[in-house]
Amino acid sequence: MHLASGPFKVPWSDYYGTLFDGLQRTVEYTVVGFAGAAALGLLVALMRVSTVRLVRLPATVYTEVFKNVPLLAIIFLTYFGLGSVGVRLNVFEAGTTSLILFYAAYLSETFRSAIRGVHHGQREAAQALGLRRVDSFTRVIFPQALRLALPGTNTMLVDLLKSTSLLVTISAAELMSQARLITSATFRALEVYLVIAGVYFALCYPLSQGLLWIERRVHAGLPISPRRRRLLRTAAALLTEEEALA
Amino acid sequence: MNRIEAALEARKETGVATSPSTEVAEPASKTFADAVPEESQSAGATPVVRIEHLCKSFDGRVVLDAIDLTVPRGKILSIIGQSGGGKTTLLRCINLLERPDHGSIQVNGEAVFADGRVVCPDLAALRRSVGMVFQRFNLFPHLTAVENVMLAQVRAGTPSRTALERSVSLLRRVRLAHRGLAYPDQMSGGEQQRVAIARALALRPSILLFDEPTSSLDPESTVEVLQVMRALAQDGMTMILVTHELPFARGVADWVVFVDGGRIVEQGPPEEIFDRPGQERTRAFLSNEAAAQPDA
Ligand SMILES: Nc1ncnc2c1ncn2[C@@H]1O[C@H](COP(=O)(O)OP(=O)(O)OP(=O)(O)O)[C@@H](O)[C@H]1O
Ligand SMILES: [Mg+2]
Repeated sequence: MHLASGPFKVPWSDYYGTLFDGLQRTVEYTVVGFAGAAALGLLVALMRVSTVRLVRLPATVYTEVFKNVPLLAIIFLTYFGLGSVGVRLNVFEAGTTSLILFYAAYLSETFRSAIRGVHHGQREAAQALGLRRVDSFTRVIFPQALRLALPGTNTMLVDLLKSTSLLVTISAAELMSQARLITSATFRALEVYLVIAGVYFALCYPLSQGLLWIERRVHAGLPISPRRRRLLRTAAALLTEEEALA
Repeated sequence: MNRIEAALEARKETGVATSPSTEVAEPASKTFADAVPEESQSAGATPVVRIEHLCKSFDGRVVLDAIDLTVPRGKILSIIGQSGGGKTTLLRCINLLERPDHGSIQVNGEAVFADGRVVCPDLAALRRSVGMVFQRFNLFPHLTAVENVMLAQVRAGTPSRTALERSVSLLRRVRLAHRGLAYPDQMSGGEQQRVAIARALALRPSILLFDEPTSSLDPESTVEVLQVMRALAQDGMTMILVTHELPFARGVADWVVFVDGGRIVEQGPPEEIFDRPGQERTRAFLSNEAAAQPDA
């Protein structure tokens, strides 16, 4: 009966551990890669809106280079390329570095246009109120830019998660690598890759839906941080007192 | 010429002008400071803003041409004039949102701009003492009304609770306590502009600058905003008011300056400027404005 045809013949219970390890790795690559890419992307975006040409230039060059080179080439360069000249990164370092470099370029574009998209009157109003540059950015420009950047950023996060599968080429032990391992042991490519595709879907779909939910909340201006929620509650109490007095 | 000399000079001139035995060659009150009664100039009262010989060009085009202007404490100065005359630029120079080319600016007796250089050691502090209300409501759209009023206070170091209480009372002052938790896009233009006034007052500025605060509002909202401004005037707030609401300017201002082509063409008490303008350009402007305002 083991020889009977049909797609579902892999003894999956033997591979739960393998799959779980792969899942964990994929999540690690995604979290570290995205956090790094967001931080670097923000830095590059800030450099690109600088008034100093010498600051803008390297940021522009960086963005253009990494936007126009395939991710796979970056992965090979950081792992095999750098390795051949003595800079040995382990698989995780090379993998996350590649993801960060590649996605930071895209995110910097998203962030830059979001920062530019905040009306210049906002910066002026902040200045006129005597807000210092840091406060003006963190309290006025950034929160508004974040809203504008959210949809593009969320798309990039899901895209990055899916792109971790390219790390199969350097055997990064993430989901795709584990799938290849299981396939070579079972010779059931269709079944294995169908299941793996399903796992990716099960990761990405709730993620993008969750992000959409956050997007909607943020757009409605609903408070997210507990601190702001508390403040607004106190304000509401004070304001109704005022009304009662009036 | 230092401040004390300037004050003495101003007093001397007033004395000369009011002395019946002296022939008056020039108009009795050439500048706002001269026109202010002596008692408010004595006791070391420094004007809130003193501008001397202020010049500004954009790309070689002169927009402000040797402007001299003084605003004594507790007084209201209204600037009127054609579009493009440099009114906004002049206001923006006072809190150094715009960098002048020449001249000097003193705020509360402290030089903030002199000899073509910014000499203000702390721009943020200067701007906290000069409140500004823009033509287009520049409220922060991601914050509620009460948070808009709070933000600058908290950033300037006021404890959050104190700032909140003060913001609520400021909202009450502009009669918007019931809208405190609304976001700017949920408010009418007039409500937004009143929140903007509350926000500008939050740091207890020594002067408020208004740049056509009602020019993008419907008549009803305009009335609301003008009411709030009139109340401020009655409370003794020092203000510079750029406006096309000439009847309002006439009613509330202590001094009116007509600006055209970057120069002060004429200035004087409102009755004088509106009823007996001395310059042809002022007359032309006023009759134009009257034609544009059918209800005036
Ligand atoms: N940042 C700038 N760059 C170049 N030109 C400018 C700038 N700001 C203002 N100007 C020009 O300076 C002149 C004066 O402008 P300003 O806005 O001060 O006039 P205004 O009297 O306030 O006019 P309005 O009644 O239309 O508001 C205008 O011709 C304007 O085009
Ligand atoms: Mg203007």
